[in-house]
Amino acid sequence: MKFIKSVKLLTFLTIFAIANTSADTDIVSGKQKSETCLGCHAVPGYNNVYPTYKVPKLGGQHSEYIKLALKAYQKMERKHNTMHANAKGLTDEDINQIAKFFESIK
Amino acid sequence: MIKLSKQIFFILVFMFSTTIFAAGDYDNGKRKAQACVACHGVDGNSENIMYPKLAGQYQNYLIHSLNAYKNGERDNAIMNGFAATLSEQDILDISKYFSEQKGLKVLPKN
Repeated sequence: MKFIKSVKLLTFLTIFAIANTSADTDIVSGKQKSETCLGCHAVPGYNNVYPTYKVPKLGGQHSEYIKLALKAYQKMERKHNTMHANAKGLTDEDINQIAKFFESIK
Repeated sequence: MIKLSKQIFFILVFMFSTTIFAAGDYDNGKRKAQACVACHGVDGNSENIMYPKLAGQYQNYLIHSLNAYKNGERDNAIMNGFAATLSEQDILDISKYFSEQKGLKVLPKN
């Protein structure tokens, strides 16, 4: 009985560890795929040209929201030419990983 | 010389006044943000992953977003409804309040 319990615990821990590792892998891949984003979103106070407003801060933003926003730019539901151009080539996996990376910034 | 300093004076007044117009009022913003905080969190650090954090976001980006929801450029059933009720001054004040909270960060450079 005790043995079964520890097997159960071990299984649980293994699954947990694997799940955790895959989240970390997403962040690492997301970071690699974010190079282009950093050109604007990593510059403090950087201005969008027209209309004039500052390019939003994304560090620490919820990944679910980033995913919604990127998909809206892809489909031109949010109209922004630069963001459309950058988002249109991204796969769902790219978007997920990029969003996970942004969310991981503390 | 007097003419020149007059010109400089008017330029300064103009610059100063536009800063005031763009500023918004923090306390009024806090009061007007009552409807926002249910989803976006008291200080704009929303705990619900479906709703974006607003804390620390640039004020003029928040103004841009709220206007886009207000005029329908951004389509969102919840936000279109809320933003439609806001005046220009409300948008300035609310944006001021959330922009001054601690939260979002500029992405780090590699």
